Amino acid sequence: MMHLNLLHRPSPGPNYPLYRRQQELAHGVGLKVTIFLHYQDLFDPAAVRDALRDREEFGDEIALAFHSPRGPGLSVPNGMIWLLSDAKKREVMQIILSKFREVFGRGPASVGSYHLDASCLRILKELAPEVEAVVGGCFEEGVRVFHGCNHSWYLFNEGMPWNPWYPSKTHALRPAASEEDAGGVVAVPHLLRDMSLAYEGRNDFWASHPPNVIRGMGNDASFCPYDLNLIDQFRMQEEWNGGYSYYNSFVSVPWLTWNHNSEYPPEVAWELYTKFLDYLRSLKAQGQVEDMTLSEYARWHKKNRPIGTSEVYLAKEMLYGSGKHYFWYIDAGRRVLIDPTQGGSIGDLRPYAGRLALSTGPDTPNRENGSYPFLIQSQHRTGNSHHSSDGARTTLLLSHGGEVIDLAKIRTKVAGIERQSGKTIMTLTPAEFAFSDGLKGSVVTRYHFIQDGAIGIERTLAGLSDPTAELTLTEYFKAAYGRTEYPEDLHGIRLGIDGADAREVDYDYSGDRHESSGATCVTAAVPQIKTRVELVAENGRATSGACQVGHLFSPYFTLSLNYSVKNEERIVTWMTLSNLSS
Amino acid sequence: MDDSVQFKQLMRCPVCFSRDIDVLMIYAGNSAHYCPKCSFQGQESEIRGMYRDIQKKFHWMTKRLTLEEQRRM
Ligand SMILES: [Zn+2]
Repeated sequence: MMHLNLLHRPSPGPNYPLYRRQQELAHGVGLKVTIFLHYQDLFDPAAVRDALRDREEFGDEIALAFHSPRGPGLSVPNGMIWLLSDAKKREVMQIILSKFREVFGRGPASVGSYHLDASCLRILKELAPEVEAVVGGCFEEGVRVFHGCNHSWYLFNEGMPWNPWYPSKTHALRPAASEEDAGGVVAVPHLLRDMSLAYEGRNDFWASHPPNVIRGMGNDASFCPYDLNLIDQFRMQEEWNGGYSYYNSFVSVPWLTWNHNSEYPPEVAWELYTKFLDYLRSLKAQGQVEDMTLSEYARWHKKNRPIGTSEVYLAKEMLYGSGKHYFWYIDAGRRVLIDPTQGGSIGDLRPYAGRLALSTGPDTPNRENGSYPFLIQSQHRTGNSHHSSDGARTTLLLSHGGEVIDLAKIRTKVAGIERQSGKTIMTLTPAEFAFSDGLKGSVVTRYHFIQDGAIGIERTLAGLSDPTAELTLTEYFKAAYGRTEYPEDLHGIRLGIDGADAREVDYDYSGDRHESSGATCVTAAVPQIKTRVELVAENGRATSGACQVGHLFSPYFTLSLNYSVKNEERIVTWMTLSNLSS
Repeated sequence: MDDSVQFKQLMRCPVCFSRDIDVLMIYAGNSAHYCPKCSFQGQESEIRGMYRDIQKKFHWMTKRLTLEEQRRM
């Protein structure tokens, strides 16, 4: 069953009738809406009266928008509540909440924003404990959207869940690990995004928002099957998430009139939005979709999706027609993206286990950047090598006769996903390789995600054309912490290796590589994000390893473990992310 | 006044857009537009043709992929 939240917000003046038309459209297809009133709408008797009537007649919810915090007695120059200081956040929220209470006699159950950082959430719950649900972040909006808006859209909240989550008290984009860690609300993302293209490029184009797709030029005038394809791709996830899927849409009025993101007349946006809602109506009629208000959803979520529930998403690219798969996994300890088209490399890794505390605002060192930092982000940080060294990524290197094959250059797909209690296993199709001397074979990669625990990377060598051959397999992990595409200061990172030449080294940009025979464990401590990474060979099976400090032309650290492997043999490397202080 | 009417004639630069950047062109009269960020300028008909070219990379743009079809992909 797909759970649906349809979200609208009024627009003042000449655009107000367009908002009413949006409401009529939704009600006409039998869908209920959560109406987000802005501060200034609370002074407009028509907006209040219409919202009350829609609540009465159609079961809509009246919620509060923190977008555009301006109106009588209130002016916020940057317009973005999470970008204010702690004191200013409190002052603005007090004004807005007290007006809402004055108009409706009680506080809102749901609040919306593009992003709500940890301090906003803390202040909000303090001032309005009745808030149950928030629209709390825009999935993967950050670097690419910043570029896309000609470097003018300062919304940085990458590294968050794609589906509803319980925001942590210390970092609102991190799913809470426990009741004590939870900030007391259910958050939903502002739109659901294309889980292939949101990683590869601008995620503000490919979303549960038909005019966003127009902006991306993914429509042929009022023909845009992609809008429906994306709904179905989210429905497909029910297979691996206990029958659960979630969708929302939050199209504001300016998208449905002449605007700077479309070269089509508004009729096109209306027609696509109508078709989109009509498809959701038909799914509802078939019992495939249940529409809810946001606070109804939050209550359903609390009852049915306990804190700490892990989720997966199998993305299948469907606009370019590439046939690409991406596999996403999330739990309280990490968010991981596997890129099967690069042989199953990790393309994005957010180490939630470090539990980095972060708020935004001029009174914090983070200023505008609320993203949860990555250890690996292959789109921002090179990934597989192109014209210079490689960057943040993982891979498996196969060595034989002086030749090295990089698994990242072999395309695979997701062959199977098994979801067991406390464990998720994802298997890729075999990666077929051939060395120049004629030796051929395949590697099957299988990822074991232990809930809130380690990630097992299993590789099985099969079908070797010379059954007596022995290959060196190198499990390779290259990383750097960051929140954008530009390097951060890596001083303070400490690498470690065991074995005959066991040692610990400080990150000094020397480029030095330290090998150790008999090594079975390599580590990196990254104090900036309070994270420790450890790669351990199962059963001490590795024969040697290395850790390498980068340099200023390749600012990463590299950990590797080598194995000697014959046909039909299998190796497992366990990757653990943990809190550095524990 | 309705602010949106100002956007009726506006177009995004197809050269910047092909680099994934939205840049509004400036109308120069006689159906011609120029880009303030890059050196491209052109007629509306030419710009619309370039949008079509940009869309050519979306091989499945007009393809409906049902749930069952996506499962098999
Ligand atoms: Zn340009």
